[in-house]
Amino acid sequence: MSTERENILIRLQKIDRRWIYLVLWLVVMFPLIFPFKIKPKPTPPVEQLFNYIDTMPENKALAISVDFTPDTRAELQPMVVALLRHAFAIRRRVGILAISVYGLGLGEEAIQQVTGEFNAHARTHEDSVIYGEDYVFWGWTTPILTVMLGMGERITNVFPVDYYGNRTESLPIMKEIKNYDDIGILITVAASAIPRSWINYAQVQFGVNLSCGITAVSAADFYPYVNSGQFIGMLAGMKGAAEYEQLVRQRMEKNGMEWALRNRGTEAMSSQTAAHLAIMAFIVLGNIAYFATRRKRK
Amino acid sequence: MKRRIPLLIVLITGIFGAVAFFVPNPVIRSADETMRNDVQRIIAAFSLVLGVGSIVQHHLLKIKRKAQFWPYSYITIIALAITAVIGVFGGIDVSRPGLLPTRIGSFSFHIQTIYSNMMVPLAATMFSLLAFFMSSAAYRAFRARNLEATLLLLAAFILMLGAVPLGRMIHKQLPAFAEWILAVPNTASKRGILFGVELGVFATSLKIILGIERGWLGGGK
Repeated sequence: MSTERENILIRLQKIDRRWIYLVLWLVVMFPLIFPFKIKPKPTPPVEQLFNYIDTMPENKALAISVDFTPDTRAELQPMVVALLRHAFAIRRRVGILAISVYGLGLGEEAIQQVTGEFNAHARTHEDSVIYGEDYVFWGWTTPILTVMLGMGERITNVFPVDYYGNRTESLPIMKEIKNYDDIGILITVAASAIPRSWINYAQVQFGVNLSCGITAVSAADFYPYVNSGQFIGMLAGMKGAAEYEQLVRQRMEKNGMEWALRNRGTEAMSSQTAAHLAIMAFIVLGNIAYFATRRKRK
Repeated sequence: MKRRIPLLIVLITGIFGAVAFFVPNPVIRSADETMRNDVQRIIAAFSLVLGVGSIVQHHLLKIKRKAQFWPYSYITIIALAITAVIGVFGGIDVSRPGLLPTRIGSFSFHIQTIYSNMMVPLAATMFSLLAFFMSSAAYRAFRARNLEATLLLLAAFILMLGAVPLGRMIHKQLPAFAEWILAVPNTASKRGILFGVELGVFATSLKIILGIERGWLGGGK
């Protein structure tokens, strides 16, 4: 019996990796098809960012820099969507830009989705979200130093034309957003070290308030900046997105916007929970097999 | 001369860039603004031409020499040409058409359609493979071999549990403990690393500006 058990453990040590892939695939897929309800409780960094935007003066705009690429879309796009919903729900002006050229398509996707949601429910012209008045998509330009430093002087100099080819000078919103002084907070959503550049150039030189939305694996890199107050809160990974979605949903319901919108971050939490548990189980199983066979080798 | 001119340009622009960052003189500021808004953009435009030229040349050479996987080079060149033409002349989406007719019946192939339906799934597929490799690596390599590895393992367990709502079900304070690990011990160690990295970056930048470090010129010496 004992030898039989040892044989199983040895076989476990040498298991074909394709079985591990199959288990993980099932564990990720199953909750996506049959989701179980999870409502994440907001953590302090997420609450800090939400409260800051929620209480931002009316004459200040929210700027979102879409600094990620499509590979991290699942994790980061829900953040952009939730931030846009929050800004429009409390009627704050929004400016969107992309530091990476890949961010253009992702920014456009989020804008189309959220403006579509708000305009579909609008009853009057005032309820609508209008391009050039309530929001602007500045687009992309290079190099990043030009953008980060130039926006502190005059945004229309950095982006003479917007993503759709309009002269930015001609847009009514640009009379209200001239430079960083008119931006309440700039949130960089990224999967790289770009948030650090925003601190080095935009914040150090012009004192603009910053925050970031980043992938879960990068969270540890940015905690020092949250603790020092250089970032006002932070959204870390799918969990951060899901927590922000919950806060925005509550805010929208309070404002009478009970629209039953899809929250992609929250929906994916069940799958992420299952995947985390599976990986933990793999680690435990791997260690049991390792220690059992090591004892035998000794 | 071939080396002296680039070194001189780097010395002047490097020192000027650093000075302009700290000196609020209007003349210096104005010159800095011109450098950033005009000169850097012109250089960036040249680098784009250089980049496209380089990738086309590389793949044409591969096709000519019938190097390994040469048929894939056709895909790269064709994809580059089609995306560039549609991106420049085809319009952003259905509501913002361009000069080219990028719509056949209900089927559109605007740049946003190409991006959302090709670029996004392809990139997401590549990135999602990471989860499979990670789980395989976790199973095979994440072992509590010694005290350090055991501590790492414990921290990883707490963070993974803290990152999902299940952690709160196990113990109410578990997510707060995970948050503490990130905010205190992690921040302390990261700050140390950051100071070291930034000092290294500063020293290397200085060496490049002063022409001590010349690796970027090519040739290795």
